[in-house]
Amino acid sequence: MRHSADRWYALLLRCYPGEFRNRFEPGMRETLQLEYAEARARGSLALLMFWFWTSIDAAWFGWAERRPRFTGGFSMKSLLTVDVRDAVRSLRASPVITFVAIVSLALGIGANTALFSILNSLLLKTLPVREPQRLVLVDDGTWTNPIWEQIRDRRHDVFEDAFAWSGTRVNLSTHGETDFVDGAWASGAMFDVLGVKAVLGRTFTEADDVRGGGPDGAVAVVSYGFWQRRMGGAPDAIGRRLVVDGVEATVVGVTPRGFLGPDVGRSADVIVPIGALALAPGQAKMLEGRSVWWLEIMGRLKPGQTIEEAATRLNAVRAQIREATLPQDWSAKDQAEYLKDPLKLVSAATGDSDLREGYRKPLQIVLGVVAAVLAIACANLANLLLARAASRRHELGVRLALGASRFRLAKQLLAETGMLAFAGAALGLLIARWAGPLLVRQLETPSSGVTLDLSLDWRVLLFTVGVTAVTSLVFGLAPALGVSGISPWDAVKEQARTVSGDRRFGLRNVLVAVQVALSLALVVGGVLFVRTLTALSSTPLGFDPEGLIAINVDARKNDLAPDARVQLFERLRESASQVPGVSSAAVSVLTPVGSMRWNTRVEPTPASAGLTERQRVPWVNVVSPGWFRTFGMKVVQGRDFETHDTATAPRVVVVSESFARRFFGSEQAVGQEIRAGIEGPQVHAYRIVGIVNDAVYSAPRRGFEPVIYVPLAQLDDAGPIKVVTVRAANNAETLSRSLASAMTRVDSQMAFTIRPISTQLRASVRQERLVAMLAGFFGGLALLLAAIGLYGVAAHSVARRRAEIGLRMALGADPQGVVRLVLARLVWLLAAGMTLGIALSWWSVRLFDQLLFGLEARDPLTFALAAAVLLLSGLLAGWLPARRAARIDPVQALREA
Amino acid sequence: MDISEPLKPAVLHILLALADEERHGYAIMQAVNEQSGGTVPLRTGSFYRHLSKLIDAGWVAEAAPRPAGDDPRRGIYYRLTARGREALDTERRRLVSLIAAFPQGRRAARKSQA
Repeated sequence: MRHSADRWYALLLRCYPGEFRNRFEPGMRETLQLEYAEARARGSLALLMFWFWTSIDAAWFGWAERRPRFTGGFSMKSLLTVDVRDAVRSLRASPVITFVAIVSLALGIGANTALFSILNSLLLKTLPVREPQRLVLVDDGTWTNPIWEQIRDRRHDVFEDAFAWSGTRVNLSTHGETDFVDGAWASGAMFDVLGVKAVLGRTFTEADDVRGGGPDGAVAVVSYGFWQRRMGGAPDAIGRRLVVDGVEATVVGVTPRGFLGPDVGRSADVIVPIGALALAPGQAKMLEGRSVWWLEIMGRLKPGQTIEEAATRLNAVRAQIREATLPQDWSAKDQAEYLKDPLKLVSAATGDSDLREGYRKPLQIVLGVVAAVLAIACANLANLLLARAASRRHELGVRLALGASRFRLAKQLLAETGMLAFAGAALGLLIARWAGPLLVRQLETPSSGVTLDLSLDWRVLLFTVGVTAVTSLVFGLAPALGVSGISPWDAVKEQARTVSGDRRFGLRNVLVAVQVALSLALVVGGVLFVRTLTALSSTPLGFDPEGLIAINVDARKNDLAPDARVQLFERLRESASQVPGVSSAAVSVLTPVGSMRWNTRVEPTPASAGLTERQRVPWVNVVSPGWFRTFGMKVVQGRDFETHDTATAPRVVVVSESFARRFFGSEQAVGQEIRAGIEGPQVHAYRIVGIVNDAVYSAPRRGFEPVIYVPLAQLDDAGPIKVVTVRAANNAETLSRSLASAMTRVDSQMAFTIRPISTQLRASVRQERLVAMLAGFFGGLALLLAAIGLYGVAAHSVARRRAEIGLRMALGADPQGVVRLVLARLVWLLAAGMTLGIALSWWSVRLFDQLLFGLEARDPLTFALAAAVLLLSGLLAGWLPARRAARIDPVQALREA
Repeated sequence: MDISEPLKPAVLHILLALADEERHGYAIMQAVNEQSGGTVPLRTGSFYRHLSKLIDAGWVAEAAPRPAGDDPRRGIYYRLTARGREALDTERRRLVSLIAAFPQGRRAARKSQA
């Protein structure tokens, strides 16, 4: 400690100019050491205060010493500087109050600014490109490449220009374990439309976006961040080769630092023209597929053109576009809908983001929560400052008696609150700079990174300044207005203690009651969200995630025939199952709670005839024999898939219990037949051979949904991407290396990623966890602030009524009676505040109904729990001063009075 | 430093602390704390700022020899110069004449308390 303390002094002393240091450094070091020793002897709070003030002093005086010294008289200075100087002096005179004030303000303002800067970059900030106001997005969702090619050929009729892109994770490794980075496939005009110039090399153009590559072959443009991170910022990065999802591409340029791509929330680190996909093994479907929806389309309006004009023009050519791209294999009904569907345009000035819909509401709620915390902090400060003003009546009275005007005094008090607010805001901005990125990291999952530009812009600064101004008005106005109640006679009264029954004590009570109400609401919210998270984490999954490790295998590069693929995956499964520590292994197309889903429409059965079309769409998974056993699921009726369920055998499926219930009611489902187009438009009949227990498919929040399981061997085209899941007998973490070598032993071409299923599960509740974390933290903070407020009021009232309590005790009141006397008033405050708080939360919890799981927003237990916690901490806060009151020595108290 | 103006409380207390003996930095800070009953907050930062101004004004100077037998680690000792003593005396006279002008005030104060 001694050494680090010394190092810190040395750092602090550097604030001073060299000449000053030469003169005083040894002396200052010595006094600091002695002050430190003294503070340490007095306890940890004193030590904290010592560090805080020593640092502030060094910054302040170091700066003052560096300024040219002022030599003139006071008359030269403007009144304002005098105010500021006096304010600083007076704040330094009561360091504890100043410390509490600055820190609680900084926490409040910092949390608000951090949240707002995330909201700002996600929802409000325009893209850092040329004239973002003229950008529009073809709503809604994604489009096929054939549709884009149709729009591309007509784009100058509709827009000034347009481009299509798809932000996705791309794999940079050539074989073996995957190396994913955030990337994008984009059409040639993207950089032109956005007006983004390369900082090094060139961006790609229409000429590069040709199937199979342009004059330079396949090209790639990388982001500034990627260039720095992965290429060390090398000037010869241009011309290097990258393998992007199996396509060998030449790096031709680097985009500017601020440009993260058209998607908000993710950065496009490697951008490759769509045409290069023709070179990617096994990806032909992406370019030609009429029902492969993966591209987003953005246009730039002509100067003066409105969105409506562009939409009218686009819909004028809609029929041609739709007819040219009609998916031939769809049912007549779907085709008719496809032709009818209008094309909509929405403004894209702020870019596009899938994070927006998921996080808009949670972020708004958390912003509301931190605003309430700031309000509570404000009420606390107002209380502190009112108490301080009461004890400064004497001082202020003296100044009035010496001829200061009330306006002058009010101005100085305002200058003090202004200084507090300024210091709080400055520290708050620092906190926000640190907390913002920390929060953004919580949004990430292993399979999708989140990159948000949290740099300060005018909106964030305006927000912070506005919050600070409102805050300082709220907590600074009451003491400043209180100046009117002070008379010069206060100067000649000996102590502030003689003042009794002033109105402002009433105001303090109101402030505390409001604090209690707000913090009750926040505690209710915190408890609701924390209970939601626990409910989600403990909700039955239907399978056992512990020890399950998923190996996501991508064999597109192998370019195998469907039969050979099935064999490859069977060899991989076998190799994985022989790794020591693995008890079983199975193959499936997807895993529960993963990022991919698959559903299908089932033709009505007698029991499901009355259901809507939507209700007849169960989820689908394609699994190998033994998959259920590996996942710890039970076949409750019938049988599991077996090796004889091959492509030539009759088509069979296994269904979940809720599927059987929905489609067959009380009838026996095993042995029945269902008809569905699972792999495509072609409808087949499938015989149900077994029923397995219900398991979560998409997310724990969605509960058990009907699922159909199809045997892997019976799929017409099993596709090149599969998951080999293994169940590890013990410590799963150490297995991944041996699993990786087991994979590469079988085949060195394919790419794979190894990840425990539990990671996927955690990612599926990340939004809930974030909200629970924040709501819980701020609920606790609000509780602490409210307790401090209650303590302040109780302590103040004890100090004020010292003489009265002494008199009562002299007349025979017992200590318990005194405790009751003090607590009685507090209980009234608590009761009033809690009644208000319950009403407030009763009304406000409806707002987050959709975000809860497993409990009602107006959950009585939660309300009771929150009220109990608040009551308990309120009583604890009151008990400390009450105990002090009970120990008052009547003789001494009466003598002092 | 300007003798024609009232001294700041901290400056007055520093001068007073050095009036009867030479002291080193921390001893001055402790003396100020005692004399003022804690009403003049002085920490390292503010103390050395005042000290540098006082030295520049020529009111305080470094004292060359150290009193024998004292802890040798203690840093530089400071003393009041003749000009510093003069400034302290001017301040004393100013305060005395100020208080002398207040006989009515004292009586008023007693009355209000009764």
